Amino acid sequence: MNYETVIGLEVHVELATNSKIFCSCSAHSFGTDPNEHVCPACCGMPGMLPVVNKRVVDFGMKAGMMLNCDINRVTTFDKKSYYYPDLPAAYQTTQWFAPVAVNGLVEIETSKGKKGVRIKQIHMEEDAGKLVHDIREDTTHVDFNRTSVPLIEIVSQPDLSSAEEVEAYLERLKTLLRYAKVAECEMAHGTMRCDVNLSVRPEGSDKLGVRAEMKNMNSIEAIKRAIEYETARHIDAIENGTEVLRQETRRWDDIKGKSYAMRTKETAGDYRYFPDPNVMPVVIDDEWFDSVKDSLPEFPEVKREKYISLGLSEYDATRLADSIAIAECFEDAFKVCNNAKEAANWVISDVTRVLNAKGMTYEQLTLSGKALGELINLVLDSKVSRANAKKILDALFEDESLDPVKYAEENDLVMSNDTGLVDKVIAEVIASDPKAVADFKGGKEKAIMALFGKCMKQLKGNVDPQTLRTMLIEAINKL
Amino acid sequence: MDRETLRRLELLNQLKLTEDEKQDVLSFFELREGEHKCLEAIDTENTERMVHVLPVMTVVREDKVVKTFEREDLQRQAPETDEGYWCVPKVME
Repeated sequence: MNYETVIGLEVHVELATNSKIFCSCSAHSFGTDPNEHVCPACCGMPGMLPVVNKRVVDFGMKAGMMLNCDINRVTTFDKKSYYYPDLPAAYQTTQWFAPVAVNGLVEIETSKGKKGVRIKQIHMEEDAGKLVHDIREDTTHVDFNRTSVPLIEIVSQPDLSSAEEVEAYLERLKTLLRYAKVAECEMAHGTMRCDVNLSVRPEGSDKLGVRAEMKNMNSIEAIKRAIEYETARHIDAIENGTEVLRQETRRWDDIKGKSYAMRTKETAGDYRYFPDPNVMPVVIDDEWFDSVKDSLPEFPEVKREKYISLGLSEYDATRLADSIAIAECFEDAFKVCNNAKEAANWVISDVTRVLNAKGMTYEQLTLSGKALGELINLVLDSKVSRANAKKILDALFEDESLDPVKYAEENDLVMSNDTGLVDKVIAEVIASDPKAVADFKGGKEKAIMALFGKCMKQLKGNVDPQTLRTMLIEAINKL
Repeated sequence: MDRETLRRLELLNQLKLTEDEKQDVLSFFELREGEHKCLEAIDTENTERMVHVLPVMTVVREDKVVKTFEREDLQRQAPETDEGYWCVPKVME
């Protein structure tokens, strides 16, 4: 019998706000001491009242609009019972009855073609703190820095059916949320985490199988491996009766390549949701709604088409449009240099080279596109050689405030228009290496490279390579 | 509400009820269920969802970081702290 895997995802995304969702403590605690960013509100002390961060609602709406959701113009917060010391109030403030966004659709593309994945809802909620179990044997240490950091949870319908589709869906979410600048979405940093709900059923059946949930998955590769393992486990259980499948929460051990049962799966009733009496309904009026709508970016597909219309290849256009950081760098550079192909080449090849060398992602790019455009102009105007332009690019990565023109002048990187100087250097180099000259004249064409290198070194790269080569050959032929 | 549901609720709420208390809870829920059945009989097909009993809305604040408390002040009443952490009895998932 053939089987199909049915997968739904719950994706938690940390929103890129400055402060927490219900208090004004900093939402950024990377590298800080434990409990540096806490107050009575996020510590769940009795009597403290939450005050909603407007930007969290802006970002919740924006995410919803990017994923084609309907926005609930009156959205409410609810309490979800949760007994665990990383949330000291013993409940999580989240959304259950009227989440900010519902009924969305995300289009993904895989080797099997295009497919729509329905979004059930997006809700805003607070994150939990961190527990450290290994400092002392007798106690658990609690750090509330992360408590109340704003999250959105994106809940899909069970429309996914393979690891490939899940990967495409997560990549699409990342792209869209990064385009909207609402989140970093870096699984390695924990700013995007994923719960995978999976069941298996005979192909063609409309009845869902027994569901297992794997929580807090934080790498796409691990998710893919877990899906393959779980699918095989479910089929084995159905066909061979190796175990009785139960609705449960499982932990994925990526090193052993196995999942383990943690607990029977909670149902919504177990959480005993009820409206949070401390947070009044958030009412989104037309002005607020329109201001968020007006701030939406162009979608990647629109940018891609625009780049193709500028004369770029489909491949280059897709690469640029895949990341908002890269797309914006390209567009800013293009505005200055007005040469799309050149700007695209610099961004795709040279900027990417520096990012890779520094171990940075596209999203960490802070290079000014305007400065890149000015640098490209220096090359196009034959004021700086390509080799030296790459040196200037490296310097721009070190200091974003650098002016490429000034930097080229101050560091002797401007190409020489002084043909007299070039002639003088060529004459000196020819005189210093008669063997190479003789070899070249005797037909060994490669011998020119040694002479060319020496000239370029003496001229510090400040000469157009083609011009130098032509002048050098002419000088030898005159001998 | 049956005894199994009640047992589950006890567990979820970390409560231990005496037999008399269990009887009270079961009787209470029996009455409430009856009331709810009456409510369910009402046709709400075209009724707009009520999100709050009063026509109120929340205030929102700007996304600005303000440090309002020092850790030491917050931890002054904690039974135990260690290197800036609150300490709680060992818990493992």
